[in-house]
Amino acid sequence: MLKYSLKRLSSSIVTLLIIISVVFILLRQMPIEGYFDNFEKVDQAMINAKLEQLGLNDPIPVQLWNFLVDLVHGDLGESARYSVGAPISGLIAKKAPISIKLGVLSMGLSLLLGIPLGAAMARGKGKFWDKFGTVYIVFINAVPAAVYHIFIQLYGTSFLGIPMLFDEKNLITWILPVCSMALGNTAYYAMWLRRYMVDEMNKDYVRLARAKGVSGQDIMMKHVLRNAFVPMIQYIPTSLLYTVCGSIYIESLYSIPGMGGLLVDVIGRQDNPMVQAIVMIYSCIGIVGLLLGDLLMGVIDPRISFVKKEGAR
Amino acid sequence: MLSIKENKSKKLEAALADQLKKDLESELVNEDELFVLADYDEAAAEKTGYSNYSYWRSTLQVFLKNKVAVFLLCLLAALLLFTFIQPYLPGQYPANLINNNPQTGKQLSNVSPSLTTVIATAPAGTVLMAEELKDADGWYAVHNVVESLKARTKFNLIEYGEAWCRIEYKGKTGYVKNNFQTKLKLPEDPTAVPYESRSNFKLDMYMQPEDYTNDGTALYVKEDCLTLNGDGTATTSDEAQLRVLPSENAFWFGTNNIGQDLWSRVWSGTRTSLAIGFIVAFFEALIGITVGVLWGYVRKLDRILTEIYNVLDNIPNTIILILISYILRPGFGTLVFAMCLTCWLGMARFIRNQIVIIRDRDYNLASRCLGTGTARIIIKNLLPYLVSVIMLRLALSIPSAIGNEVFITYIGLGLPVDLPSLGNLINEGRKLVTSETLRYQLIFPAIVLSVVTISFYIIGNAFADAADPKNHV
Repeated sequence: MLKYSLKRLSSSIVTLLIIISVVFILLRQMPIEGYFDNFEKVDQAMINAKLEQLGLNDPIPVQLWNFLVDLVHGDLGESARYSVGAPISGLIAKKAPISIKLGVLSMGLSLLLGIPLGAAMARGKGKFWDKFGTVYIVFINAVPAAVYHIFIQLYGTSFLGIPMLFDEKNLITWILPVCSMALGNTAYYAMWLRRYMVDEMNKDYVRLARAKGVSGQDIMMKHVLRNAFVPMIQYIPTSLLYTVCGSIYIESLYSIPGMGGLLVDVIGRQDNPMVQAIVMIYSCIGIVGLLLGDLLMGVIDPRISFVKKEGAR
Repeated sequence: MLSIKENKSKKLEAALADQLKKDLESELVNEDELFVLADYDEAAAEKTGYSNYSYWRSTLQVFLKNKVAVFLLCLLAALLLFTFIQPYLPGQYPANLINNNPQTGKQLSNVSPSLTTVIATAPAGTVLMAEELKDADGWYAVHNVVESLKARTKFNLIEYGEAWCRIEYKGKTGYVKNNFQTKLKLPEDPTAVPYESRSNFKLDMYMQPEDYTNDGTALYVKEDCLTLNGDGTATTSDEAQLRVLPSENAFWFGTNNIGQDLWSRVWSGTRTSLAIGFIVAFFEALIGITVGVLWGYVRKLDRILTEIYNVLDNIPNTIILILISYILRPGFGTLVFAMCLTCWLGMARFIRNQIVIIRDRDYNLASRCLGTGTARIIIKNLLPYLVSVIMLRLALSIPSAIGNEVFITYIGLGLPVDLPSLGNLINEGRKLVTSETLRYQLIFPAIVLSVVTISFYIIGNAFADAADPKNHV
């Protein structure tokens, strides 16, 4: 297990490095306007001085190395347009708590709704909950999120009689963003749990348990649900990290001052260093989530062996 | 004492024994029949194991049983056909044409959706001011205003009403609106009619106690509804339909805020979005199948492709989309390119896994032993096996491409507004949602988009179910 963890960790770090380098190199191709908050007004000498000061005239490998060294020290650079001269790590640290609060709430809600829904769907195949859940899942998967979130905001706020935009102090405005963020994950958990549970239910040990006379309730709770939940564990860190980082769309729709909304903001203002930092954070989260998921699987399910069987295929 | 379980099993045993006894008694077997030689039957010997089973016919049969999917398929086909013939139908406005009022040159912005351009009707015998239009033959611009009174002009009030007052000014009689803006006040003695009055605002004196204008601009009537009186006025001979434009072509979905016809924009946008969807799906199939087959079949490539997959798959799709659209100039090509960069990943992995499972099955081994080339094995032996998976993923990639386009447009990195797509229509409509009367600009594109994406999703799933050999009889 330890050997596996180390190996997995090192490959993740390599992937991280590759992604950071690629993002960095790609963003070097952007026009230099994105580093100035008043590009039209400054003259050529000042532009050159600023570029020199930012180190943008160095060859790209040197820039990349400097960036990585800074990164290790927790320095993501400075914002160029969004909030001139402010360190990006500080800006993000200010925005992160609200995203984390919303993310944890919506994650809890989606687990709370998604798991019972998936279990109910698997139990009564073809009955009401199954049909209801299927319609729900089809709707959520087929209609683009960008569309139904607008309608939830539009009609939800007028139906509940609450303000359209988010206000941290007014708890009632938290309801709709949290629910909207939970919708997609709920459908996801319900869909996969149902699939895994149906797979489990057709296995021999369940038939044996039934033949032994174990009650349906017990089979479901003690055997099927537990076993079906194991493959889902792998996704939970990833989805937790993503929700905690804030949904880009919902945060900007409700003007929540979080990280996702920040990305849309800085893209609108063409602030290169900020875009670079946030894009890197989002891409790295995927890797960290996957790493955690894999390790968690190993801890939870002792049957999973990490020794590669040679010649198995 | 017997435990419950033992008790149960005893009961079961007894029941089985009873059943067996009954079965044996009921079946009277003639033992001689069992040992007679069968005759040689030529027809039976010639009979081969031919069956007219056809995979695709069976797939079709299973698919046709799914009534919802068949209905949606018809709907989608009709919709697709319609989006292509729509510009050639009579009475369509071009999608990017800004419709102006022909007299004032103002944009016809935010005209509510209706089946005609008629926004008011005047009963027969109504006298209106009429003016012939130069560039639209047979149409008259009509309005109801006889005279415009400046602020603080004195006039005689003949009749006082809640909404309209009848007044006399320079020998003409007409009507003025009585509302919070015109503020016509009654004198001390309201019975003293006529009396002099004035307003602190500009006033329009109307011929009829009815506005008959579109926010102050003239409306249009066809020639044959009017009889001209020669003094610049005309009397309606029938019930006249007053239109916003000198044209009978309606704005079925209304117009947007710069006066473009939303109906043709929605269909033009559907065309763009479907084009994005189909192009992305095509590349997904092309790249996904090629990479997947190589990845699964060529053992040397397995390692490196797995690493590439891990790197790319670890970054969220939306982030790649945002990054690429941010770096390149926004446009159709950029959007499609950004989506194609990541769309093939899922398909390639799926195909790779399937191919790893089936490539060493006996029939492939036999094929290889008989000297079949690799390409032929892949095309003839492996890929037909994967049709259901491929079709499913293609059908699902179209709605997701359309959805991605909406998302990217929302962020502000999407298509320019002069290339309508469902994404930028929805985004334009979203900005107006705070006004209840303008919500149609969001709702119409959203409905069309949802119909398209849900149809693709359900049809894809139904087809994948049907193509799965497990579901065939």
